[in-house]
Amino acid sequence: MTTPVLFHEARTFTSVAAAARTVDATKIYGIGETEVRALDGVTVAFARAQFTAIMGPSGSGKSTLMHCVAGLDSLTSGRAFIGEADLSALNDRELTILRRDQVGFIFQAYNLLPTMTAAENLTLPLRLAGRKPDREWLDTVVEVMGLRDRLHHRPSEMSGGQQQRVAVGRALATRPQIVFADEPTGNLDSKAGTEVLEFMRNAVDHMGQTIVMVTHDPMSAAYADSIIFLADGRIVDEMAHPTAGRVLERMKQFGE
Amino acid sequence: MFFTTIKGLIAHKLRLFATALAVTLGVAFMAGTLVLTDTVGRTFDDLFGNVYKQTDVVVRSQAAFGAGAVVQRGRVSESLLTEVRAVPGVAQAQGGVFGYARLIGSNGDALGNPAAGAPTIGGDWTESARLNPYDLVTGSPPAADDEVVIDAASANIGKLAVGDTTTVLVQGPPQRVRISGIARFGTVDSPGGATVVLFRHTVAQKLIAEPGKFDTISVVAAPGVTQQQLAARVAKILPASAEAVTGAAMTKESQAAIRQAMGFFRTFMLVFAVVALLVGAFMIFNTFSITVAQRTRENGLLRALGASRRQILASVLLEALAVGVIASLLGIVGGLGVAIGLKELLGAVGIPVPAGSVVFKPATVVISMVVGVGVALLAALSPARKAAEVPPIAAMQRGLVGSTGYGSKRRVYIGSGLLLGGLATLLIGLFGAVSEGVILVGTGALLVFFGVSTLGRTMSLPLSKLIGAPLPRLRGVTGELARDNAMRNPKRTAASASALMIGVALVGFITIFVSSTKASVEQAVDQSFIGDIVVTSGGGMSGGVDPSLAKRLDLLPEVANATGLRQGFASVEGQVEFVTGVNTATAFDVLDIVPIKGRAVDLGRSGVAIRQDVATNKHLAIGDVVSIVFRDTGAQQLRVAMIYAHGQFVGLQEVHPSYLLGMPAYDANFATHFDMQINIKQAGDVSEAAALAAVERAAKPYAGVSVLNRAGFKKQQTAPLNQMLALVYALLGLAIFIALLGIANTLALSIFERTREIGLLRAVGMTRAQLRSSIRWESVIIAVQGTVLGLAIGLFFGWALVGALEDEGLTVFRVPYGSLSIIVALAAVAGMVAAIGPSRRAAKLNVLKAVTSD
Repeated sequence: MTTPVLFHEARTFTSVAAAARTVDATKIYGIGETEVRALDGVTVAFARAQFTAIMGPSGSGKSTLMHCVAGLDSLTSGRAFIGEADLSALNDRELTILRRDQVGFIFQAYNLLPTMTAAENLTLPLRLAGRKPDREWLDTVVEVMGLRDRLHHRPSEMSGGQQQRVAVGRALATRPQIVFADEPTGNLDSKAGTEVLEFMRNAVDHMGQTIVMVTHDPMSAAYADSIIFLADGRIVDEMAHPTAGRVLERMKQFGE
Repeated sequence: MFFTTIKGLIAHKLRLFATALAVTLGVAFMAGTLVLTDTVGRTFDDLFGNVYKQTDVVVRSQAAFGAGAVVQRGRVSESLLTEVRAVPGVAQAQGGVFGYARLIGSNGDALGNPAAGAPTIGGDWTESARLNPYDLVTGSPPAADDEVVIDAASANIGKLAVGDTTTVLVQGPPQRVRISGIARFGTVDSPGGATVVLFRHTVAQKLIAEPGKFDTISVVAAPGVTQQQLAARVAKILPASAEAVTGAAMTKESQAAIRQAMGFFRTFMLVFAVVALLVGAFMIFNTFSITVAQRTRENGLLRALGASRRQILASVLLEALAVGVIASLLGIVGGLGVAIGLKELLGAVGIPVPAGSVVFKPATVVISMVVGVGVALLAALSPARKAAEVPPIAAMQRGLVGSTGYGSKRRVYIGSGLLLGGLATLLIGLFGAVSEGVILVGTGALLVFFGVSTLGRTMSLPLSKLIGAPLPRLRGVTGELARDNAMRNPKRTAASASALMIGVALVGFITIFVSSTKASVEQAVDQSFIGDIVVTSGGGMSGGVDPSLAKRLDLLPEVANATGLRQGFASVEGQVEFVTGVNTATAFDVLDIVPIKGRAVDLGRSGVAIRQDVATNKHLAIGDVVSIVFRDTGAQQLRVAMIYAHGQFVGLQEVHPSYLLGMPAYDANFATHFDMQINIKQAGDVSEAAALAAVERAAKPYAGVSVLNRAGFKKQQTAPLNQMLALVYALLGLAIFIALLGIANTLALSIFERTREIGLLRAVGMTRAQLRSSIRWESVIIAVQGTVLGLAIGLFFGWALVGALEDEGLTVFRVPYGSLSIIVALAAVAGMVAAIGPSRRAAKLNVLKAVTSD
């Protein structure tokens, strides 16, 4: 399954090193006694056409980091960028349009609107933008995701794995700068989970997509090019070319 | 269980308020109407009790014919007074007369509105202070023939004072009079808002009644003689045509008459109470259905923890009970306000309600509570059952919210049955020869509403699809979402729409009915009236303008023909009918009456003309004798001298006159001689403006008349309809407002249910504006759906009623497409307005919290 043309296309707009990054990102919940530092001065860059996993024990701030970089949440201090756009300088409307055009999302569950078919869900961000979908690109996505025969089904008529594949497809449909995935396989059995992870891996390898995934599953993290480990709101470690065994070892140090 | 219910109620104060509001308004209407009618009833009871307190026996003529509101009595001979005074046990006896008299105010305008509102009465000043119900406030009793006492209300409105000179319209030419005194009627300024002019005794007989006759003789008993004894003694000396009635019986009779008059008003107001309650029932049903669906897991958990079905059922009903009780209590308090408001409103339209404390009967409280709470409980019963059916396993399941689809076959059968039954009942009530027509019509209308709302779920899906069809093209994915969301729970959409449907159906019905009536009146004027100018007397059924005006107008060089019309009650072969008096010399040139058999000149003093279809029905031919009983002359034998077709007199009581009399016959049998309307054909060689000016000049001394051309006549005849329309719109507007609150409520609850979806949409790039727009259009679909269903029902009601009233002159069925389109457009706008709150709240949802919510 090689798509050299698209691969080439996706690479051409790579002029900046990082698809998204943060500088001294700090997020504090509550005040005074109840103050919780979810992020404590995180500076990180997510390289283009790379699959990065964020790991860490519960409460380490991995989801918060992702939400803040994705423009779903705001930082208390520090800055977050998608491409060259400084998220803290954008109002709600600008942020929404940025998410719509430049960011793809894959949540753990409930990724799809129940009233829409797979095809309609797939093109939702494009249609929200009032843009005509690029037929050729969509066909490719559908093909790669193996969704051809499910296009006119509603989510209630699809399996969990199929639903997540549609979600991955939707995230790719707009050719975003970056795709954020929050425990994308958390609700799936291992076969369906593996399938979804392989599709994500494919998207990075053959379409040049940048993907950032939050997970606590070493098997999933092993699909990434690199891993950053968070604990208590700080980056405590990084790992390139991970394997499940090495990730598991590293995680054990957190006492999980 | 009780504890969870109370906690739930407190947690959702706003929703509770919106739901309760509809019931509150319904109960307020009902309680207000009951309080007002009780209050008015009581004060009038007291009033009449006082009026006849000193009168022990009243002598009057036997009823010539008729019953209830149209009892027609003649007068008794003046000579009876001496005979009555001679009866042993009579301490005092006094004759009295009354008739039509209309007072002109200081600005030259006639007071009162005998054609459509407060009556104008003339009478004689009773010398005996004991028997006189009027008390002088200032001035003195009439001492000269041109002196009068007037009521305090008219003095106030007409800016007339003792010593002023003004004009009174009576039989014959207008009279100049001097006001010698101003009086009150018992505790009020005037009886029932009427304008009252009291003359000296002999003058009153001459001007407003008949010389040598009395309407009543009031008698006071000597000490020790009871009313019954005296009535029996007086009755013995009376001729067969007269009767003696005790004072107590007179009081009862007057009180009953007032009650009957109030009855219509009471029914009218209670209809709106029922409408508001019906809307309230739909809202409660909807709110409870949604909240029960949302609490499926919670109820499942309670069941898993050991709560029985009965306990779940009871907890939901308890919540409904609380809503019902709070709403009804507020409604009863509001009802007092409504009663006071209505009292002011009645006063403003010229029907002052006597001063007196508000009557607040325990029955009012009981009835209002029972109805309010009953409606709440009944509406919540089906959702409560649903809640009780939740299995314990639901605690562990997700996403079992609401129901979709078309509804069961059984539901379709029941709905169709209700609808067809309702339609049949309605049509039988309207067209069938049944005595309880009104009740059948009301029941039928209710059944139609229930039928349509039962079928609502089935009809909702295709309707939403149809109404929303243009949206995806117009609004893109936003419109698509709006349509999909309106379609995803047809049951909920249908219930929200049903609440709106009721109000809109009635608005549509009234609009169609009024527009058909207007069209019919206009058509009647165009077809039946071949003249150019109409002079209306403004005197209603009891009065009119002196016949001298018609004579004067006929002589004007600008006028070719002027012919007066009169109408009065008579009993034709045992049935109360209208008979119309026409001037045979001029009528046929100005009016659309086509003689078919016989000739108008043969009518004379003892002939009658009959409309063709009436004659056919009664098997009457030229030369046959008809027995007609008149109030003033008793039974008379009249010969059928003419049979005619057509004939339509706009502005008279009977629009299609069945019986015509020539003026000689009419005047011979009716004591009062007034023209109600004068129809005029202008001379061929003058302009309409010139003719109008000439007629206006001639009519100037006859205050209270209106001189109108065709267009003006049409306008005058349809004007009261506009007033009625405005009043009904205002009352129904309230029901529609509640229904819109219901839509807002439903939307808010649905959005709460869809929090996660909204979070997702926002995360993948839906802007706040797009989200708001999507919810707005969803609301528009619901609102337009309710409106379209309502208008369909309204259209049917209108068509049915217009058809049923064809004989009453409603010959045209006109659908005012313009107005109905405006209603639909307004509904769409109202839908948008209803969505403002919910859509704003949805747009403000924190994306992250929404997308990660449970």
